[in-house]
Amino acid sequence: MSEDAHSLYQERLTRYVTANYNGKPDRVPLRIFAEEFSAKYCGYDNYEVALDHELQFDINREFAVRTGIDAIQTNSVVNWFGMQKALSWEGITFPGFGIPVDSVNQWAEPSSEEGAFLKADEYDEFNDDPTAFLVNKWLARFTTSMQPVGSPVTFDHNMAFINGIMAYNQFFNTWGAKHVELVEAGIVPAVGSVLKAPLDILGDKLRGYINLCFDLNQRRDNVIEACEALVPHLSNLVVGGADQSGDIPSIIWMHRGCVPFISRRDFDEIYFPTLKPIIETLWSKGAQIILYAEGNWDQHLEAFATLPEKSIIFHCDKTDIFKAHRVLGDKFCISGGIPNMLLTNGTPDQVRATCKKIIDEVARDGGYIMDAGALIMNDAKIENVEAMIEFTRDYGVYSQGSGSSPSLEKVKQVDSRPQAPVYKFKEQKRTPGVCLPWEQKRKELAPVVEREELARNVWESVDGQGYGFLWVNLTW
Amino acid sequence: MNESLYREMAQSIINGNVELAASLATRAVEAGIDPLEAVNKGYSAGVRQVGENFSNGSAYIPELVIAGAAMKSAMAVLEPEIAKRGEERQKMGVVVLATVEGDIHDIGKNLVGTIMSAYGFEVHDLGIDVPTSQIVEKTRQVNADIVAVSALLTTTMIQQRDVVEGLRQAGLRDSVKVMVGGAPVDNSWVKEIGADGYGEDAIQAVNVAKELLGLA
Repeated sequence: MSEDAHSLYQERLTRYVTANYNGKPDRVPLRIFAEEFSAKYCGYDNYEVALDHELQFDINREFAVRTGIDAIQTNSVVNWFGMQKALSWEGITFPGFGIPVDSVNQWAEPSSEEGAFLKADEYDEFNDDPTAFLVNKWLARFTTSMQPVGSPVTFDHNMAFINGIMAYNQFFNTWGAKHVELVEAGIVPAVGSVLKAPLDILGDKLRGYINLCFDLNQRRDNVIEACEALVPHLSNLVVGGADQSGDIPSIIWMHRGCVPFISRRDFDEIYFPTLKPIIETLWSKGAQIILYAEGNWDQHLEAFATLPEKSIIFHCDKTDIFKAHRVLGDKFCISGGIPNMLLTNGTPDQVRATCKKIIDEVARDGGYIMDAGALIMNDAKIENVEAMIEFTRDYGVYSQGSGSSPSLEKVKQVDSRPQAPVYKFKEQKRTPGVCLPWEQKRKELAPVVEREELARNVWESVDGQGYGFLWVNLTW
Repeated sequence: MNESLYREMAQSIINGNVELAASLATRAVEAGIDPLEAVNKGYSAGVRQVGENFSNGSAYIPELVIAGAAMKSAMAVLEPEIAKRGEERQKMGVVVLATVEGDIHDIGKNLVGTIMSAYGFEVHDLGIDVPTSQIVEKTRQVNADIVAVSALLTTTMIQQRDVVEGLRQAGLRDSVKVMVGGAPVDNSWVKEIGADGYGEDAIQAVNVAKELLGLA
């Protein structure tokens, strides 16, 4: 890493972390979640980007370097034809496959009981052992080639696993290398581990939203238990991949947990109570989380205000950012708020005016990060995104006296960091983090002559990766 | 006795009880009750109550979804009976409904279609990823009063403008009202593309449709 890039990286990291911890850096940080927009900016269409996973990382880096922003996701597009179609995921349609090459990845989900990946009468089975359910039934229903346990194994089934897992490993190995390239280019990787709320996962990947609508009304206890059953696994996943130094926050894509997708009662009794302990656990380990609140969460801000101070960065899509600032700004950093439609249909002057209003009112005392409300796709005009970035860089400067900025350690200091909550949940057959316990595996092996712990450690590491594969597929 | 049955019918819609809604409809048919009365006095009363509850904030999208499903199951029993009697449900209007070309999302669109049907609109749902030409052709074919097009993505909502233009080029623009919907849609988009209205949710869509047709 060159000295210049190192210096730039440290400057940007300090700026980003200071704002994340609700402080006032030298200027408003630019953390832009450019999804397919990066492809457009770098001169590629979405079909090319969907096919080439290395290109996905490279366009993000190129966009960030050319625009001089502070932080970006290592990979915003994320969905790779090579991996997901090798695994034979059914629910994702890639640009160029039945839809135009400049379209974006689109998701389908179960919309009938017949199509549900978790049937209504399988809640108890799921709650008892979610990992086994994923292996035994879910993978087969979520994919076109994999067969459920107990069915005849087919050629396509075996190839989905062979090709799919090879591609999965290739993708994540590339991720590690590209993460380093991003840092060496002087850009801060904006997020660490990824989370979704239990109720969102139940809707997106298990029951489908339509079936969930029935469940919330007609088998509510099942829904609550399923969300509770998910908590320890999601905690395991998000904490395991988090930056516990506190520099880089994790992120949660908050999808349909707000009114009117669910009721206020559903949010108060299910969505938030099964999400809060995960956030608090993450915070107790040292990591913040960006609540990427898609849609309008105006009616739920007071609930988020109960979270530990500085534990979250609240991102505004259609939420009233000024209300969010009033309710949450004393405790938490706010990000986003630039309407995507403005970036698509507006003019640079209109974009600058909106940025100014937000910077004047929300960023005044620090604790604000500039970004669009939602992931920027390829319909956004380049001149508008550039206007957002350039205006923020020029106007969003805090008039502080000269002198050195506080150290990162000082910036991240909090008065107290609560212990992880003791979350009581129904005991499950399998411990979170484990698929095939060592005690079971060793029965099929020749007896271990000595130092069994060495073999055990290897097995548990490998099994943990298998667990990760399963749960990453579910939470994707 | 019928009044009590109508109340049960309405409640089956409010509770989203799909099986009960159908079995009450079957009971009505077997008892020789006028199916149109069952629709108007029973099931539609339930739909209107759910709509009111949604508008006043005591019901949410899940309640609309399950009410719509229950209504659909009741109508599946009653519609053949209505046809057999040579009767016809009073139509609010004819609607052509679709998700625009390049967009495969349909949850919101389906809900709008179900609720509009429940309120008495005749809905022709063309599905997802529908080319403008197909929407225009169907509009002509069924003599639609309303064309309602949905897009979930900012990248596909541009097709809604295409639909307005397609109807204009086909000489149909003046004879239909165009409604647009989907997460990125708002009133400024309606004005920009020359559409006539939009509903932020399925109940609003019904109210806007009624207004546009002079039925409000």
